[in-house]
Amino acid sequence: MKTKITLDEGEMPKRWYNILTDLPAPLDPPLHPATKKPVTPDDLHAIFPMELIKQEMSPKRFIDIPDEVAEILRLWRPSPLYRAARLEKALKTPARIYYKYEGVSPPGSHKPNTSVPQAYYNMKEGIERIATETGAGQWGSALAFATQQFDMACTIYMVRSSYAQKPYRKIMMQVWGAECIPSPSTRTNAGRSILEKYPDTSGSLGIAISEAVEDAATHDNTNYSLGSVLNHVCLHQTVIGLEAREQLAKESLYPDMVIGCVGGGSNFAGISFPFAGDKLTGKHKEVDLVAVEPSACPTLTKGIYTYDYGDVAGLTPLLKMYTLGHDFIPPSIHAGGLRYHGASPLVSRLVHDGIIRAVSYHQNEVFEAAQLFARTEGIIIAPETAHAAKAVVDEAIKCRESGEEKVILFNNSGHGHFDLSAYEAFLQGRLEDYEYPADLIREALAHIPSST
Amino acid sequence: MAAVASGPLIAGFLINPIAGMGGRVGLKGTDGQFEEAVRRGAVPVSQDRAIRTLTLLRGANIRFLTCSGAMGEDALIESGNKDYLVVYHSAEKSSAQDTIAACQAFLSRGISLLLFCGGDGTARDVYGSVDNRVPLLGIPAGVKMHSGVFGVNPAATAEILLRLSETSFRESEIVDIDEEEYRRGVLAPRIFGIARVPYLPGHVQDRKWVYEEASEDRAKAAIAQFITAIMRDDTVYILGAGSTTAEIAAHLGFEKTLLGIDVVMGGRVLLRDADERGLLSLLVGERRAKIIVSPIGAQGFVLGRGTQAISPRVLRAVGPENVIVVATPHKLRETPVLYIDTGDTALDREFGTTILVISGHGMGQRKKLLHPE
Repeated sequence: MKTKITLDEGEMPKRWYNILTDLPAPLDPPLHPATKKPVTPDDLHAIFPMELIKQEMSPKRFIDIPDEVAEILRLWRPSPLYRAARLEKALKTPARIYYKYEGVSPPGSHKPNTSVPQAYYNMKEGIERIATETGAGQWGSALAFATQQFDMACTIYMVRSSYAQKPYRKIMMQVWGAECIPSPSTRTNAGRSILEKYPDTSGSLGIAISEAVEDAATHDNTNYSLGSVLNHVCLHQTVIGLEAREQLAKESLYPDMVIGCVGGGSNFAGISFPFAGDKLTGKHKEVDLVAVEPSACPTLTKGIYTYDYGDVAGLTPLLKMYTLGHDFIPPSIHAGGLRYHGASPLVSRLVHDGIIRAVSYHQNEVFEAAQLFARTEGIIIAPETAHAAKAVVDEAIKCRESGEEKVILFNNSGHGHFDLSAYEAFLQGRLEDYEYPADLIREALAHIPSST
Repeated sequence: MAAVASGPLIAGFLINPIAGMGGRVGLKGTDGQFEEAVRRGAVPVSQDRAIRTLTLLRGANIRFLTCSGAMGEDALIESGNKDYLVVYHSAEKSSAQDTIAACQAFLSRGISLLLFCGGDGTARDVYGSVDNRVPLLGIPAGVKMHSGVFGVNPAATAEILLRLSETSFRESEIVDIDEEEYRRGVLAPRIFGIARVPYLPGHVQDRKWVYEEASEDRAKAAIAQFITAIMRDDTVYILGAGSTTAEIAAHLGFEKTLLGIDVVMGGRVLLRDADERGLLSLLVGERRAKIIVSPIGAQGFVLGRGTQAISPRVLRAVGPENVIVVATPHKLRETPVLYIDTGDTALDREFGTTILVISGHGMGQRKKLLHPE
């Protein structure tokens, strides 16, 4: 039995897979926040390069990965596919568990799969600087790495509380030459107005987004970049699933289940969309695709499928997605990357159509699975990734009970070396099991007479 | 405890026969309120709770020194415990003076532990008499349960005694509050002393803490804002005791009885400081109702302490699924486990092994729920 199934550099996918083309009906378009009419490419061009806008709405099933991008991706791609034999043994399961390990990238997660092409397309259109926001710092460090590869400047608005409490990601960004600013800052109107009202605020991702968008919109040489949610981000991440499908094929296998965690949805899209495409086109109708999210922010399991803003302030286009409401502020769970009120419109649509199913877990059970994974497979995984690991453990136990030898594939989206304080809290019994009171909210909402 | 290894454990045992009678009839303690409690139809509860502990101790290697009649002997006979000696004869209508005198009689004969059944007032009297000379353990039967000397319920109290060789001892506060002030809605706990208590984790309740800090106020406001936002006009809301439910009432525009139970519907107050009978009278027919309660301090009692008017009959009329628990994050941090001890163990089990506690605006925490019986 092989522990690692690897591909040669020459076997790295040459094209991304665009699932838009395999949807049975078109995706509902994003709406302009003021006019509530579908946004046009021109609306978006103030902050995004045209090539990414085209990818957002592309009718092509496959889109070529530019050579300059592939050259950088080859620093860590193709990433290894591992057989989790030690975890299987610990669980006494007949299931065969495989995981794609994205923690081998320089920033330690799947994020540079999209930060590199995003930086590239901006550079090609003459953009000299990219502004973005980051919460705990995973996306910020990935974009800092990518812009540095193309000699571009990068400005990252980092939520102030994280800036103070999680300094190591900030230092990574600075090593890669990015400017990292605690948000809210005095650099933007959005930041200044918040600071005037709340001088001691610890900031939020919503405020940081507003600052980065304003920075991009008010500087000709600067664009904005988003690390998840949007179609082009999901597109770039499909290299993960495309590679995994090839790697399993080398063992003459096709997965019965594909599992990933969901915050905005990009790493899940990455591992699952090539398989979702097989399901949509009837090649493998039976493959079970499972999106895992925190009970504290259960967008796909407890949210409603409707148009909502992508940010707290309501400045972004309205997206058709599962949402808990753009004013919902998730509690401070340690899987900071999963704290998002909405989810990718593509992932949302596939959940709505029954192609993907979603489950949710509490923090403590998730960290128990992460600890088991570390003690068997050795890798200390990110708290976000640990949600996927928990679902894998549960499914493997079901196989033990049923005797089924399912092939389970999951995306090990990153390491947790900067999240050790979360592990410490778990070991000391200080983690709270936050939960969204969906039943109470639904019951109350059901009673409100419809305004339409 | 050396006594366990070499021979029988010599334990003092007494019951405060009137403890806990005020609870279900809407009084907040029975101190000085015995006649009023009886007039309102209260029945003794401490005898039954003591018998539940003692039944589990039948056959254990324990010799009880006790009081005559309702203060101890009756319960020992009823529970089938034969190894006891009556060392104090109480008057027919016993008082705090009898508790104090009985404790002195136990001490003069030599005991290794003093087991008593009552509430905070009883704990205070016992501690006032024996001080720190012997460890104390209480069978909970009172209306107020702020002291840390009580087992979490009668069965857990027995469990501690049966596993005494495994226990360690810890210091725990004897706390009582002024019942006159308590009835007026002022919660002012006072520590009377520090007793030694045998301790098995999860079996002895912690002293109740009262949290007062700025962020607590913000958290309470967020909870109140959320709860009032999801309230429906066609539903009766029974608000339990405590400052978090008081904040909900404040958001609805009325001042709540801090330690009593108030009922609201459609923005109107239907009942103030309700007792069990009053609550049942509102729950006729198919009326939708919800109970909103907060766990009591570090003890973590969701139902069963300080909320006796929300009796098993009331809970069954409303339905366990319609109980909404609220608590601030800080209070929950200090309360790792929640307990439900309504006195009806089948009903307790219907609440399951975990419970959702609303801890913010649109946010809750899933907590472990114990009902050790």
